[in-house]
Amino acid sequence: MGNRFGVSSNALMIGAAVLLLPAFILAQTKPGVAAKADAKTASAKSPEKKAWVLPRTPDGQPNLQGYWTSLSFTPMERPAKYGNREFLTDEEAAEIHKEGIQHSYEFTFNDLAETPVYDATVYALSAWQEGVAPNKRTSLVVDPPDGKIPALTPEAAKVREAARRHGPNQDYADPNAPVKADVAEDLNLGERCLSFGGPPILPGAYNSNFFIVQGAGYVMVEYEWNNETRIIPLDGQAPLSQGIHRWHGNSRGHWEGNTLVVETSNFRPGATFQGANAKTLKITEYFTRTDQNTIEYKFTVDDPSTWTKPWSAIVPLSHMDGPIFEYDCSENNNDAVNILAGARATERAAEEKAKKISQK
Amino acid sequence: MTKAVLLSLFVLSCAPLAVQAQTSTQQPPARSAASAAAAAKIPTPGEFPPYKPPHTGDGKPDFNGIWQSFVTADIDIQDHDAQAGPHPDIMGAYGAWPGGQGIVEGGEIPYKPEALAKKKANAEKRMVVNITSDDRRHDTGDPELKCYRPGVPRANYLPFPFQIIQSTDNIMMVYEFEHTLRTIFMKENDKEAPKEPPADSWMGWSHGHFEGDTLVIDTTGFVPYTWFDRAGDFHSDALHVIERYTLVSPYHIMYEATIEDPNVYTRPWKVSFPLYRRMEKNVQLVDFDCVEFVEKMLYGPYYKNPGK
Repeated sequence: MGNRFGVSSNALMIGAAVLLLPAFILAQTKPGVAAKADAKTASAKSPEKKAWVLPRTPDGQPNLQGYWTSLSFTPMERPAKYGNREFLTDEEAAEIHKEGIQHSYEFTFNDLAETPVYDATVYALSAWQEGVAPNKRTSLVVDPPDGKIPALTPEAAKVREAARRHGPNQDYADPNAPVKADVAEDLNLGERCLSFGGPPILPGAYNSNFFIVQGAGYVMVEYEWNNETRIIPLDGQAPLSQGIHRWHGNSRGHWEGNTLVVETSNFRPGATFQGANAKTLKITEYFTRTDQNTIEYKFTVDDPSTWTKPWSAIVPLSHMDGPIFEYDCSENNNDAVNILAGARATERAAEEKAKKISQK
Repeated sequence: MTKAVLLSLFVLSCAPLAVQAQTSTQQPPARSAASAAAAAKIPTPGEFPPYKPPHTGDGKPDFNGIWQSFVTADIDIQDHDAQAGPHPDIMGAYGAWPGGQGIVEGGEIPYKPEALAKKKANAEKRMVVNITSDDRRHDTGDPELKCYRPGVPRANYLPFPFQIIQSTDNIMMVYEFEHTLRTIFMKENDKEAPKEPPADSWMGWSHGHFEGDTLVIDTTGFVPYTWFDRAGDFHSDALHVIERYTLVSPYHIMYEATIEDPNVYTRPWKVSFPLYRRMEKNVQLVDFDCVEFVEKMLYGPYYKNPGK
């Protein structure tokens, strides 16, 4: 039965790679293909909206509990063709949704030869992780109103450029690019099973799944990736001092009406959203359940040392069927072994070649 | 010697102090005659006065909180003496392991003869780590040393806290050690949580229910790789654990686990110990992601300069 859980380790490298490519990019690379999927449409959900009453937990919190997916076919930043348009027409939204689903099928069944391990059916997953609903927004970014992430500060631009030059193994676009893997620290955090990121909650190509459980005074958010969890106290607990740093930051929550507001700081240097400054980054999230099958999830990123102004995005979270399985990662991290061993084999091969040449 | 082990030893060695501190602060101020009488009675270990726990909004005993055990069972679930840890030449008292009384009822684990031999071999090879890119990586070495998920019930007596988040349909147990997570399915006939485990896992597939004020959790579907302690106590994939959590005071859960595995033991056996509510003001879990502390030990042989 280990195979089921082997998905984490076998698919990990690819998983980590694909995560960096938002689903929308993949989705939009093959436009115009008719969807084979029986897509859920927006209209299919509308009848239940009328009678819907916000459910509450036994301790009176608005009930956000259950399994949710942040999978989305909407780009983070607004494509130029939409100009200042914030919303798509129904027809446009339906078309993009169809294309996204079609791509999910292709990703699963017509996988590239380079990525043979991600055959979802081997792991008893459905071809696309259904649940995602059409989104009428032209971009996830809603503020600033142009739908674009604000410019980096000059210092942050310098840091990012340096990271790009020295950062190992980030060039997933070129599978033949040399891999630097002298030690485990050369691999990325996902390959090392240390962190798959967040907050904020973003769409990835797959496994963008979450489980929310509310106990009295607490909200827990489990990420499917590596079963990483965030525990959010609601009782006005004081923030942590700057002496403690956490992989997913440290969160404090409160309810504003029916919206759960979560403020997160105390990030770990080297493990922040888009390489932001761990010391100054603050992420505020707003969870509002808008119907039985949807949480409107908005986040605001504020880091004056990284971006010239704060910015916000809205990612709809759609209900999906559970459960979320245990995601063993470090327990069977074959990628770490194979990447390091592969790098050594490459070095040996290069040495042999050099020897032969010198012997000639 | 890893930082992981080092840190856990540090916590272990502090444990007795913490217990003392907690019991001494719990004594009420002796003002009235009644409270003076209550204060005068020194608690007897293992005995708790009758107690009715608070209930959640849906009428169930409320287990929400951060909990931790103070036994030394992670070293050995049976009685054991203090011992030098690995590399006493550099680790000194930092690396030494405390002695302690076991948690096994009756003291003995009813191993089949061949299983007892395997336990002994496990203990001898507890620090033999040989990482391959297949399941042979699990053949030797204590999973705790490698920072793997600790399994059940070991997660509950590692020297790290865990938090219970209790809702009606699911109870979550979030462990500080390697952000280990358990989901306890509480809903009957939950279509999202079939009765039979769909696959094996490190922390098992758990269904829970209440018997009076006791939370009873039935867990199967384990991988055969976890150990119960550093002494090599083990199980097979036929492991079946039945746990009972009972709130016996505002600050204590009495914990019991019955362990069945016909491949390894001649009969079911039981462990028990109290869990203590962590009472520090503003107490919360932080991160102990030991994965980053064991990389060199695990993958060092594949490094460019393995010796360095």
